[in-house]
Amino acid sequence: MSPAMGRAQTIMKARLKGAQTGRNLLKKKSDALTLRFRQILKKIIETKMLMGEVMREAAFSLAEAKFTAGDFSTTVIQNVNKAQVKIRAKKDNVAGVTLPIFEHYHEGTDSYELTGLARGGEQLAKLKRNYAKAVELLVELASLQTSFVTLDEAIKITNRRVNAIEHVIIPRIERTLAYIIAELDEREREEFYRLKKIQEKKKILKEKTERELEKRKIAGEVTEPANLLAEEKDEDLLFE
Amino acid sequence: MLGSAELSFNVDHGYLEGLVRGCKAGLLTQQDYLNLVQCETLEDLKVHLQTTDYGNFLADQTNPLTVSKIDMEMRKKLCGEFEYFRNHSLEPLSTFFTYMTCGYMIDNVVLLLSGALQKKSVRDLLGRCHPLGRFSEMEAVNIAETPSDLFHAVLVETPLAPFFQDCMSENTLDELNIEVLRNKLYKSYLEAFHNFCKDHGDVTAEVMCPILEFEADRRAFIITLNSFGTELSRDAREALYPTCGRLGPEGLRLLAQAEDFEQMKRVADHYEVYKPLLEAVGDGSAGKSLEDVFYEQEVKMNVLAFSRQFHCGVFYAYTKLREQEMRNVVWIAECISQRHRTKINSYIPIL
Repeated sequence: MSPAMGRAQTIMKARLKGAQTGRNLLKKKSDALTLRFRQILKKIIETKMLMGEVMREAAFSLAEAKFTAGDFSTTVIQNVNKAQVKIRAKKDNVAGVTLPIFEHYHEGTDSYELTGLARGGEQLAKLKRNYAKAVELLVELASLQTSFVTLDEAIKITNRRVNAIEHVIIPRIERTLAYIIAELDEREREEFYRLKKIQEKKKILKEKTERELEKRKIAGEVTEPANLLAEEKDEDLLFE
Repeated sequence: MLGSAELSFNVDHGYLEGLVRGCKAGLLTQQDYLNLVQCETLEDLKVHLQTTDYGNFLADQTNPLTVSKIDMEMRKKLCGEFEYFRNHSLEPLSTFFTYMTCGYMIDNVVLLLSGALQKKSVRDLLGRCHPLGRFSEMEAVNIAETPSDLFHAVLVETPLAPFFQDCMSENTLDELNIEVLRNKLYKSYLEAFHNFCKDHGDVTAEVMCPILEFEADRRAFIITLNSFGTELSRDAREALYPTCGRLGPEGLRLLAQAEDFEQMKRVADHYEVYKPLLEAVGDGSAGKSLEDVFYEQEVKMNVLAFSRQFHCGVFYAYTKLREQEMRNVVWIAECISQRHRTKINSYIPIL
């Protein structure tokens, strides 16, 4: 029994160690994620403020262009074919969490190059530049916001796990371990007590048989058996 | 035929000329613009406009008031007046009016063409066409598959037919870029209009021809300026210059060779009318752009048209001045609604 209990104890100790290491690692992951989270939050605030400015500028340049070039909105809408600015999704890894990053790239020529050729071309060019800047900012903002949401989820999950290990798993293992150790001690004490009791009983039995032997000897019933080693003359031997 | 204008003009067109002069008196003055610039919201703007000739034109607009609604209502008013003039006119004034609408018709046709090419529904496009450029064959545009079909089926009936024929002589309509097509049509239109005015003679020619020549040269300058850095080749550029202007063949050839703004300025230096205009152009966003300078000059010429009597040019001038006024009011309204008041005074003052 005892070796099995000893093995159980060793196993439990190993599990405790494992749980503690796991908890520390997860805490580190949570800290890393939180750090990145704060950075992204700061960046989002900056980008949003900048976005407000850029959009305002772009809307104003639209008004300027309309003043000079007249109403070109229908022309622009009608001549839409393929997108000039496209987005690629790349993956970034932070402490094991994959975050999507959007990167924009230009494709194709400007199909609106000659719009406003006769009126307002300069203002239209400025307008195109302003809105291109706005689109780039928007793409960046989109990346930041998706990362933000993903990280938030990941942090919540990791923190939940850390707390679970810290407040549930480890106490459970420790309690089990304490129980095993207590059991082992208990058994040892039992064993010790049993041994002691047996020794006592043996002693009592031995004293009892000795007393009886003494009694019989005095009564003369019991002789000592022949002692071959004793140097006594044997009457049966004629020639010595 | 000196003096024939005074003798015969009023017989057919006197009533309309009187009417248009009355309308011209209703244009917004500098005082009105000063009031408008000081408005804080679009509602204030509406209240101020009620005291002018516009009256209660925004009365049945629901909240919230937007700039596009103001624009729409002003355009409706202008079109109403224009149609009234046109319906009451006799020859040769009615042909003059037809010529005036050709400009808008060109824009509409180009819009419908690009829509038809992309197989989009024509019905929404019809709603977005300029009302002054309406012609009866507009609904029939969507039956055509390619631009050449479009031309043969539909556009032959319209007054734009001769302009298309000029463009089609070099290459078919299919290959042309839509903007290039638009500018080529406008070039033929301007030249035809100029010839019409010249043939008409009299005061009309004296008043309209300088205006149209200025328009032609202005287009040449602007096209040159906007084609720096684009894929438009020099020959293609030269093909878009209207030839009826003062720049004549020499100036236009020089302009076609120009590669940047300085070279353009040197071309303008040869012509004393355009020299001060190009000099007045500031650089960057601080000064006036070339377009602004040209707009101011156009407004000046249009206002001068009213100083002479007995000619058709008053109608043209009135329409253009009204359009400029519309642009000014929309600009002020945009500045107010976007709370970006730094450039609110960049409208073109008329009177």
